[in-house]
Amino acid sequence: MTEPTTPGTPTPVDDRRESFEREALVHLDTLYRVALRLTGNAADADDLVQETMLKAYRAWHQYQQGTNAKGWLLTILRHAFINEYRRRARHPETVDVDAIEPFAVFEDLQEEDPQGRFFDQIVDDEVLRAIDELPEQFREAIVLSDVEGMSYEEVARILSVPIGTVKSRLFRARRLLQAKLYDYAVGMGYIKGSRA
Amino acid sequence: MNCREAVEHLYEYLDKELTPQVEREVRQHLEDCQPCLEQFDFEDAFLKFLQARCRGRCAPPELKRRILHELFGE
Repeated sequence: MTEPTTPGTPTPVDDRRESFEREALVHLDTLYRVALRLTGNAADADDLVQETMLKAYRAWHQYQQGTNAKGWLLTILRHAFINEYRRRARHPETVDVDAIEPFAVFEDLQEEDPQGRFFDQIVDDEVLRAIDELPEQFREAIVLSDVEGMSYEEVARILSVPIGTVKSRLFRARRLLQAKLYDYAVGMGYIKGSRA
Repeated sequence: MNCREAVEHLYEYLDKELTPQVEREVRQHLEDCQPCLEQFDFEDAFLKFLQARCRGRCAPPELKRRILHELFGE
């Protein structure tokens, strides 16, 4: 015979929901931003985030409360992306990211704009477009580290790569992104630059 | 610490990923080396700009409603 439940007493379902809302749903904006950059469009990002939250809620008993929920959710999101979305993504991976030799924008602008003031003239959409043009491995490193502020260790865990790989990808990704924004700024006449 | 070593640690320094000992050495180098300081400031400005340009997007309210509905039937 089951114990009668006193009205107002939290049930296990209420607890589960309450802890999920408190620890997981608060990261919705982060998941959405990462999903947007991975998929490249709002409709797929919506679906990917929804699917991630559904999987996370089903597996919520496996999550250790009070640990890193954001990292746990992003790992689920990334796996879902790799399994179901990458094939349809806009940027099939054809470049060898380790072979990319980054251009040092600072060295070029040492005389003209050593403080990087030209960055301030570049609007949000242009920055997002430049990020979207990066190879996927660079894009995810930039988004997790620079946009979401995660540590090397957290990024390494989410991407399942050593910390040294995170460092080298971030280095190349940032330099490549700078070079793209530099080219754009030269094209717009914000800076003269000297790169042919 | 010389310039080459300082620049090798550039992003780790800005990302606050160095051990306190190495971080101190980089900071000391920057106090004495104007060219390196300018390069670090340039990269720091870039990272701050990047975050400021990209953090603004939030999940659409409609997405949150969809998720709440699917999870909790509301």
